Amino acid sequence: MQEQIKEASYDVLVIGGGIAGGEAALNLANNGFKVLIIEKDLSIGGKMILLSKVFPTLDCSACITTPKVSEISRQPGITIFTGSEVKKIIKKTENSFEAEVLKNPRYVIVEECTACQLCEQACPVVVKDEYQFNLVGRKAAFIPFTIASPKVAAIDIGNCILCGACEKACPPKCIDFTQEKEEYTIKIKSVIIATGFKLFDPLMIPRYGFGLFKNIITSMQMERQLAPTRPFNTILRPGDGKVPCKVAYVLCTGSRDATIGNPVCSQICCMYSIKQAQLLMGALPMADVTIYYLNIRSFGKGFEEFYEQAKGMGVNFIKGKIGRISEKENGNLILRYEDINENKVKETEHDIVVLSVGVIANRDAATLFPDEQLKLDAFNFINQTDPLASPARTSIEGVFVAGTASGPMDIPDSILSAGSASAEAMSYLIQNK
Amino acid sequence: MEVEKGKTFKYLREKRDVSQEAKDNLKSFNQIKKTILDLLKESDLTVDQLTQKIGMPKNEVVFYLMSLVKFGFVQTGAIDDMDEYFSYKLKK
Ligand SMILES: Cc1cc2nc3c(=O)[nH]c(=O)nc-3n(C[C@H](O)[C@H](O)[C@H](O)COP(=O)(O)OP(=O)(O)OC[C@H]3O[C@@H](n4cnc5c(N)ncnc54)[C@H](O)[C@@H]3O)c2cc1C
Ligand code: SF4
Repeated sequence: MQEQIKEASYDVLVIGGGIAGGEAALNLANNGFKVLIIEKDLSIGGKMILLSKVFPTLDCSACITTPKVSEISRQPGITIFTGSEVKKIIKKTENSFEAEVLKNPRYVIVEECTACQLCEQACPVVVKDEYQFNLVGRKAAFIPFTIASPKVAAIDIGNCILCGACEKACPPKCIDFTQEKEEYTIKIKSVIIATGFKLFDPLMIPRYGFGLFKNIITSMQMERQLAPTRPFNTILRPGDGKVPCKVAYVLCTGSRDATIGNPVCSQICCMYSIKQAQLLMGALPMADVTIYYLNIRSFGKGFEEFYEQAKGMGVNFIKGKIGRISEKENGNLILRYEDINENKVKETEHDIVVLSVGVIANRDAATLFPDEQLKLDAFNFINQTDPLASPARTSIEGVFVAGTASGPMDIPDSILSAGSASAEAMSYLIQNK
Repeated sequence: MEVEKGKTFKYLREKRDVSQEAKDNLKSFNQIKKTILDLLKESDLTVDQLTQKIGMPKNEVVFYLMSLVKFGFVQTGAIDDMDEYFSYKLKK
């Protein structure tokens, strides 16, 4: 059901096609409601589709996400617009809205592309691959990633030199540079906001040296290095291609830190770092992994056991606050930190440092309703007006929130939250029939 | 305007300019690609050896080399005795 408007009116508009938006849409469609998902990226799946494995079970993320996104895209009650954005939503009556949607051209006829990748091979242009978090290049004619949904090529028109090589190479002739932006007016009865979260930008903490020292990476970059569809043949330092031996994790990067404006816990970074540490020990059996933490937040089912398992595998945990990171001539990094248990300032050398970046609010939805006030909480996530009795309810009647758009949470909680959003939207739709 | 399928790039070329940045980027990538592939024709090389020969920052050599591996021009060779650095060779 990809990329095709079948009707100009839907029961529910879901903004964001990550795991929360996808799950909410699926619940609604399985109950007979017509849903339109607007996803700004070229693929649905959100951040989950790019993960390696998931804590605390270490199940392969792609193996869980692929059948889910395929179910979402095959469900006849769901229409998906990728590469699209909602411009504004106006409340027309007590229980109806009108949304202005902009669909950006992909320059590929979605229904005809066979994902043969011949366009990719023919394209001469190489730019940074955002789906590999800039660790490697991609072409200007490209399939976003192996398990993308839809698995269809796209043209990055900003970097394209219009040489026509992709078009000549395409067997079904599905490259179409005549495509233009399309605007739609969509009538809906309810909205679910599932725009997810943003990752903290570590450039905001200059004393960590991210960007300057090339062997400091983010947890999402390490996540990609650990995934089966990784950018390199094994784990490598992007600064010089060395197989790292001494790996450091700096937890709470951009979380629990009032100085950068985010005093709250991101809830996921302790556990994803512990997960990555275990995966690293599998990938690099000789590696020595140290996690620098303030507190370990292992609050979920099986989390404490997962933490103990990491310790048992030899992961080193140091309760320490990082003051500064500096670089040696050989690319190694010196972490200067306060050892909180020993009350001493220490320095340790590592080959690579992974910054466990936190969860920041995505404020995209805040400006979508010019005539209504969509309230945000103190940290700019969408405010849940009745978190206990009606967790998906927002300040606008008929507008619900799902997943990390309402605050930091892991995948099981995002799915649970999507369940609330779909159930509350269904109840709203039935009551307002 | 009737646009022939398979030649639609000509249509867009008339409507929009290709940015100078995109053109420069292509030129620079082609030069780097040629340099790396020519050097690897002579012998297998590590990132460090390539860096010394090209005079480009190591992290950039890693980026281009890994991209050439991804696009099928180069393949990973043996690792050194310390299990630290791989050498890279042309893909036959
Ligand atoms: C490094 C790392 C490792 C992790 N590992 C784990 C793990 O092992 N286990 C676990 O449970 N959790 C893990 N997580 C957390 C997990 O990624 C999140 O819980 C999950 O992705 C939340 O899903 P979501 O749908 O709420 O948000 P997202 O995944 O952020 O999806 C939001 C979607 O909305 C789209 N969107 C955003 N803005 C707009 C807009 N304006 N219009 C249209 N679309 C929009 C986005 O493109 C995206 O597709 C990890 C997170 C990170 C960063
Ligand atoms: S989950 Fe752990 S690393 Fe992340 S902010 Fe909370 S305490 Fe810090």
